[in-house]
Amino acid sequence: MIYQGVSRYIKGKSSQTLLKVLVRIVVWGGMAFISLFPSFTTVLARIIGIEGNINAAILTGFLLIFLMLFKLLSLIEKLEQDISQVTRKESLQELTNSIKKTN
Amino acid sequence: METQSNKKIFVVIPAFNEGSVIQSVIQEIQHSGYKNIIVIDDGSSDNTQIKAAEIIGKFSLRHKINRGKGGATKTGIEAAKLFEADIIVTVDGDGQHDPKDIQKIITPILENKCDVVLGTRLIDPRGMPWYKILANHFGNFVTWFLFGLWVTDSQSGFRAYSRHAAEVINTKADRYEYDSEVIREIYIYKLKFKEVPIAVRYTEYSMGKIHKQGLVNGIRTVYKMIWNLIS
Repeated sequence: MIYQGVSRYIKGKSSQTLLKVLVRIVVWGGMAFISLFPSFTTVLARIIGIEGNINAAILTGFLLIFLMLFKLLSLIEKLEQDISQVTRKESLQELTNSIKKTN
Repeated sequence: METQSNKKIFVVIPAFNEGSVIQSVIQEIQHSGYKNIIVIDDGSSDNTQIKAAEIIGKFSLRHKINRGKGGATKTGIEAAKLFEADIIVTVDGDGQHDPKDIQKIITPILENKCDVVLGTRLIDPRGMPWYKILANHFGNFVTWFLFGLWVTDSQSGFRAYSRHAAEVINTKADRYEYDSEVIREIYIYKLKFKEVPIAVRYTEYSMGKIHKQGLVNGIRTVYKMIWNLIS
């Protein structure tokens, strides 16, 4: 996943911004790191101030899911606005075309 | 184009599945003296646009996909701007609004006293069901809390806008939260506004429509208003 993001960014694909690459590295890299060094979750728990490394992992997971949901809902909202704009443009275009035909 | 003291007045009617009443709504407005009428069929599954076109021809527009009352109203306002409208009046498509009130709504703008006139049902709510009055008060409170401006009827679709207001107001909301978003725009752009009491006609037809602003839609509207603030 990290390789995919980095290679797309290097190839200059417009959909892959630096921010997206960094997010991929943090999310997937973080998961890989914790898989290799599970005792790090204890350190993380101490830093955050939560009792138990499992709680820290679960809470972090919830936070990530919340952020992803927020992002998804924002994207959906943007899509809805884009659809409205296109629909409006089309209907106004029909109006201007019919006015030109009359004239 | 008909004018009052040289001002071009357009009446915009967003409509969704109003095929059975749209012609009578248009004719009533015409009999009140307003000939520039734009109907926006918001992706209806019935023959709303065709019925409207039988009377107003090319001024009957259509959204191929339903976008909501707010989306349709915005399209109508943009269409009116294409025709260089000086005053744009928005009216519901179900015949709830009395066209005789249009004169009351546009007079303050004709007299250059304000940019936006909001028709309000709650100054004299005769004929309005109690639960609608309660819901409107709640809507007013939420609008004031989120957008900082208190009005007596934040959800009324019977409004008039000057050309200046139509140019500066830039809403993104497509559904019922559009009415509240306009209030926000009035506050942000410091537009002069006035509230005018209007009559409301609740018929069996208009009360029976499932897509109107009921409890579920009301909750959805509040959610969208909050979401648009934080996103």
